[in-house]
Amino acid sequence: MSLEQLNANSFEKIIYDNEESCLVIFSRKSCHVCKEVVPVLEELQLQYRDRVGFYYVDVEEDKNLSQRFSLKGVPQILFFKDGEYQAKLAGAVDEDKVIDKIAEVLES
Amino acid sequence: MGDVTYDLIIIGGGPAGLTAAIYGGRAKLRTLVINKGTVGGLVNTTREIVNYPGYGQISGSDLMKDFKKHADSFGAEFSRDEVVSVNFAQEDKIICTKKDKEYTAKAVIVACGSEPRLLNIPGEKRLQGSGVAYCATCDAEFFEGEDVVVVGSGDQAIEEGMYITKFARKVTVIVLHDEGVLDCNKVSAERAFQNEKMEFVWNSTLEEVLGESNVEGVKIKNLKTGRSTELPCQGVFFFVGMIPSTHFIQESGIGMDRRGYIPVNDLMETDLEGVYAVGDNRVKYLRQVVSAAGDGATAAVAAERYIEELNAFSTSVLKSDKKVLLLFFNALNNESLEFSTLLEEANQELSEPYKVVKVDTATKKNLAQKYDVKIVPSVVVLDRGQEIKRLDYSMEKEKLKAQLR
Repeated sequence: MSLEQLNANSFEKIIYDNEESCLVIFSRKSCHVCKEVVPVLEELQLQYRDRVGFYYVDVEEDKNLSQRFSLKGVPQILFFKDGEYQAKLAGAVDEDKVIDKIAEVLES
Repeated sequence: MGDVTYDLIIIGGGPAGLTAAIYGGRAKLRTLVINKGTVGGLVNTTREIVNYPGYGQISGSDLMKDFKKHADSFGAEFSRDEVVSVNFAQEDKIICTKKDKEYTAKAVIVACGSEPRLLNIPGEKRLQGSGVAYCATCDAEFFEGEDVVVVGSGDQAIEEGMYITKFARKVTVIVLHDEGVLDCNKVSAERAFQNEKMEFVWNSTLEEVLGESNVEGVKIKNLKTGRSTELPCQGVFFFVGMIPSTHFIQESGIGMDRRGYIPVNDLMETDLEGVYAVGDNRVKYLRQVVSAAGDGATAAVAAERYIEELNAFSTSVLKSDKKVLLLFFNALNNESLEFSTLLEEANQELSEPYKVVKVDTATKKNLAQKYDVKIVPSVVVLDRGQEIKRLDYSMEKEKLKAQLR
């Protein structure tokens, strides 16, 4: 199942208004590392259904979002909880790292 | 634990693995490619390939899509998974994956490519994604109007460096060698020297990436003077070569050099029977898509013949109703040819109680090893696959017959 893509408006609503516990991958279509990481999240989101939201931001379509978090590269996975930015993972991360991070910052 | 059996398993779906899959599929071998991530491997990172025959210019990922489609058309199967451990000690090779699958195969081709080498200097890991980067296509745009450092001087470093100049204000390349010496191809070197945004720091290496939450600079060490200097910048791109991704196979006892490359012969055979290594996993001179593809073809054909031999041996020898005289000989050795004739005669005169199977040790080293045969001619007597005795060598027919009774 593919990840739900966020734009500036839906990002605002889900992260800050609804205060969802979630992760957001910042990615771009031409990035080969992203192509490795996105499928990992797509598979993983089934395990976390109803507990953790999995979202996608395209940095070319929503430049201001990546600027807001002063990101200097993709892919990066940002973790949010209670309407606040918690942590991030950069580069070619595998399933285990994502699972560990979720346990550490979202489910603790 | 799913238990699945294949003829040929290929670990890795880059150009070498995909070509092996094309040949394996076409030879009607039940073939599986296990690949983590996107099929195509590191070739996907190449924006432009201009030296693959038949394609004037194509992107790496498009070329790999064509390879994949070709392999699909011959019936190769694919699994997106990662191999975590292997057991190559037996005739049936066992492969375990991250998704808890256990596969067995008669032959295995190791084609899992390589990954970027890390320098392991302070700041490199901590600032990844915050200014430290490994892919220009992915990240160059984040450095619009900023100062960027590139480490390395190979094809990738210089070509990606030039791509970054489209966005950055200045690109400073840190080069290990003396002034004017770059590891990359000449065309790229000339272009880089003419590029006004490119600067070079010679005889130097990177010691540290500086910065709190974002990259603020780098510490450069001059290898000639030993002196360190700091250079302010907002980004650092590392292109310091590749290392083979063969770590998961280290425990298997396969021969490897200290950098992790696997030495092979002309047939891509490793020192383990039925295991082959290709492309960026083997010791070789040229690491290109075209040479990787060549390796894959060679390995798949060698694997096909190996499997054929295994099957033939199994039906004609191990499952034979008659007792078998397994004669190890060498076609270039006259004595062993004469002995072969004598043995056949002796068997015939006893009205053929045995089936004679000849094994040329020059081409079937595996079998010679399996039965621990060191001299030719030698005869191993088998009953339903079990060794019951060995014949004493003699050129006297009666002495042979006596042993066969």
